[in-house]
Amino acid sequence: MSTPTVEKHSAALDAAEVGGVKLITVTLRIRRFNPEELPDPVWVDYQLEMDPKERVLDALNKVKWEQDGTLTYRRSCAHGICGSDAMRINGRNRLACKTLIKDVNPEQPITIEAIKGLTVLKDLIVDMDPFFQAYKDVMPFLITSGNEPTRERLQTAEDRERFDDTTKCILCAACTSSCPVFWNDGQYFGPAAIVNAHRFIFDSRDEGAEQRLEILNDREGVWRCRTTFNCSEACPRGIEVTKAIQEVKRALVTRRF
Amino acid sequence: MAADTNETLVVPSVHAHTGQGLGTGNPADAFVVEPPRARTKKTPRRTRTNFEMLAWLFMRLSGVLLVVLILGHLLIMLVLDGGVSKINFAFVAGRWASPFWQGWDLLMLWLAMLHGSNGMRTVINDYAEKDSTRLWLKTLMGAATVFTVLLGTLVIFTFDPNI
Amino acid sequence: MQIHKYDTVIVGAGGAGMRAAIESTQRSRTAVLTKLYPTRSHTGAAQGGMCAALANVEEDNWEWHTFDTVKGGDYLVDQDAAEIMCKEAVDAVLDLEKMGLPFSRTEQGRIDQRRFGGHTRNHGEAAVRRSCYAADRTGHMILQTLFQNCVKHGVEFFNEFYVLDLLINDGKTAGVVAYELATGEIHVFQAKSVVFASGGTGKFFKVTSNAHTLTGDGQALVYRRGLPLEDMEFFQFHPTGIWRMGILLTEGARGEGGILRNKDGERFMERYAPVMKDLASRDVCSRAIYTEIREGRGCGPDGDHVYLDLTHLPPEQLDAKLPDITEFARTYLGIEPYTDPIPIQPTAHYAMGGIPTNVQGEVLRNNTDVVPGLYAAGEVACVSVHGANRLGTNSLLDINVFGKRAGIAAADYAQTVEHTELPENPAEKVVAIIEGLRDSEGTESVAQIRKELQETMDTNAMVYRTGETLKQAVADIAGLRERYKHVAIQDKGQRYNTDLLEAVELGNLLDLAEVLAVSALAREESRGGHYREDFPTRDDVKFMQHTMAYQEVAADGTTSIRLDYKPVVTTRYQPMERKY
Repeated sequence: MSTPTVEKHSAALDAAEVGGVKLITVTLRIRRFNPEELPDPVWVDYQLEMDPKERVLDALNKVKWEQDGTLTYRRSCAHGICGSDAMRINGRNRLACKTLIKDVNPEQPITIEAIKGLTVLKDLIVDMDPFFQAYKDVMPFLITSGNEPTRERLQTAEDRERFDDTTKCILCAACTSSCPVFWNDGQYFGPAAIVNAHRFIFDSRDEGAEQRLEILNDREGVWRCRTTFNCSEACPRGIEVTKAIQEVKRALVTRRF
Repeated sequence: MAADTNETLVVPSVHAHTGQGLGTGNPADAFVVEPPRARTKKTPRRTRTNFEMLAWLFMRLSGVLLVVLILGHLLIMLVLDGGVSKINFAFVAGRWASPFWQGWDLLMLWLAMLHGSNGMRTVINDYAEKDSTRLWLKTLMGAATVFTVLLGTLVIFTFDPNI
Repeated sequence: MQIHKYDTVIVGAGGAGMRAAIESTQRSRTAVLTKLYPTRSHTGAAQGGMCAALANVEEDNWEWHTFDTVKGGDYLVDQDAAEIMCKEAVDAVLDLEKMGLPFSRTEQGRIDQRRFGGHTRNHGEAAVRRSCYAADRTGHMILQTLFQNCVKHGVEFFNEFYVLDLLINDGKTAGVVAYELATGEIHVFQAKSVVFASGGTGKFFKVTSNAHTLTGDGQALVYRRGLPLEDMEFFQFHPTGIWRMGILLTEGARGEGGILRNKDGERFMERYAPVMKDLASRDVCSRAIYTEIREGRGCGPDGDHVYLDLTHLPPEQLDAKLPDITEFARTYLGIEPYTDPIPIQPTAHYAMGGIPTNVQGEVLRNNTDVVPGLYAAGEVACVSVHGANRLGTNSLLDINVFGKRAGIAAADYAQTVEHTELPENPAEKVVAIIEGLRDSEGTESVAQIRKELQETMDTNAMVYRTGETLKQAVADIAGLRERYKHVAIQDKGQRYNTDLLEAVELGNLLDLAEVLAVSALAREESRGGHYREDFPTRDDVKFMQHTMAYQEVAADGTTSIRLDYKPVVTTRYQPMERKY
């Protein structure tokens, strides 16, 4: 059953073979914006030969290095742990370095644009300051009282497990910039800030949960969440973001955490 | 969610960004579309009330109650005792003679209106981009809600079966 | 041009930079300049853990840890520094825990520890559980925890400011010059003390676990100011990088019981390291893998990789202890590690060498004297606690112990002195570089030169080196440096000109690659990460000393490298044959 489909695909993809790797022709349709040159964004198509198992970031690099050096984006680690290269790929927020070409329907042009809800400064680069401001506003650090113990603070494996999911956050902004509430109201704390508050609220060593909950009880706090699940879907680390937000809501109502 | 690329200008890569564009001088002056209401160091104005939490809880609790009230209402009005054909002035007058049905309808009126208008309030909060638009829409909606609730309440309590 | 005045300026916001910033912000007015947002730093890519003799799960002490560090570094370690690091390791881990780092826990609620390559009990008897970890995300947790504490202490960050020059006046540190990526503006930061914590330089290799941004910026600009670079020939190749991509798969995978296998399914490390087997130190494992590949026992159609086998481990253990690396295998290779072995090959990982410092983090001007007010910590520095080969987990220790020390020392120094006068036209050199690149009419492409550099480094200066290959590398690099003079960029704009940035970074890589190759050519012995096939044994008589490379500028502007040597500090441990 599946064999003919595969053959049809590779034929349609204009396959070329280099060093034992099947290359396909991919079109990247990138939303370019450079206010130094044009006041409005434009979509630009780039065609290139790629191994479908390569990352979208590899394709961007190839464009920048071989075709158009002016293409601008952030990148660093290239394997999904630094959080630099969150962007909208085919309309969904993803990390370019964690998305393989074969998974984004390369038969069609792959659309790439900056994440939404933050000011676009150039091409795929957005102003991250409002995002980090929201993070800072939830007091994302351990708050304790009394004397420090000489050794480590004890914590059972279960207590450690309680907030494990939200410690994975890499602050890439994929969740926050996928949130429809945030698109229209940048003053909403946004999923990422709430996730990082959750990480401390449910840490058994922390004593600042009440303060953080009070901050998130704000007009622009957790109550603005409409549980659209865009954030959970966007998270490249697989954090159950919406669940974390709901847990913070529950903690606010029951005052148990 | 997929980006609609049909309407957008697609230019070949050779034409884009030659390095000799329109921009001159300080790039910080260049034209940029600010997304609405960005968070800055100064923006977080803490509200220090439980209003949003109570509103959120109210939506859930009133929702549950309204399911019972509205389904009961629909059952009485549309199904039992011959359905809609039985409804006339006398039927309404008969029901509102009892404080129980007065209370039922009053509760339904208040909960439905507050539930609906609170829902509208969140929709306005989500969709209004300018603070002034937001204020106006919310004022209008508040006035409409107050008017409807007061009028309805007045009717329920001052209903005279003899007119 | 803008001029800023601070007491302390820290360059780089990875683990070492932020650890220093936490200390120095509490003591002096501090600015942190970083070319990336702090949480993008490559500390976050570290996985396995951070060793400290906490003895939470079995008997251990810091002296054993010191011995392992010295032996792991093939006796090129300065033993006084290693003693300090291993002794202060315990507090470094506890400090992080108190800052909120979510370590994995034991049954009793203490910090859990696991085995790691080269870490042994009682001077090599057996593997010891010494590495404190948070699943396979220890580096991520350290980076996040340090950033959280920077937020707590209100550290002042200048994000996306790329430092391009160090200002020294009258032999004393005067400040740095930075280029603001967002606007293209030049900023001069006048400072009493400067701490370099700008990270490694792995991008001159093709197969590397390093981020695109690790281009040796700190090392290169210090070197161009006439200061030495120490032990640059020692580069660590991590045994388990994802085949072709170089993405790191932690040594913790072998600590949890993972096994390296060749195409016959043989556990080949038993032949190379009978006691420690798969947990021998990294240089030993990397060479073993390459030997297997060369002798025709590699896997795949081209026989160019071996397997990391985790299939005998229970899926629950993989999920709990190694969630990220199993996900990497699924994402990038389409392989299910529960059932299939993962193809791996050694990947360029860590620069043991760097800017020479003493144990306070003060940068050395020569073998004995320091530059007042200049500090370095982390991968950019060479204390030297890693010697010829860094032991797994010791880099996270290095950044915490020496990051803290450098931060305190820099802030304390800043309180005792006045600002040094800025030189006249402080930004002159930087403006010349930037404008030179922007206005260049050349035809060479940055990407092409970088690609050729990476290819020659991978071919000629990797795990196995000979005089011949190194001479080839030196010649290739010289040719590329010549071509680099005619490099041109396409983006002429001011705003976020990453094209320009990559060109500057390439210049740094070329300079450092040359230092690596020249230093390696001169070291006619095999020691730790530096293996010369034409000199396969360690030569303690001639080469038990650190290489110090200086840039010499001739009157006509041409540069050359002068090599000098610095003795190794030995306290307790005399060199022995190194077996695992």
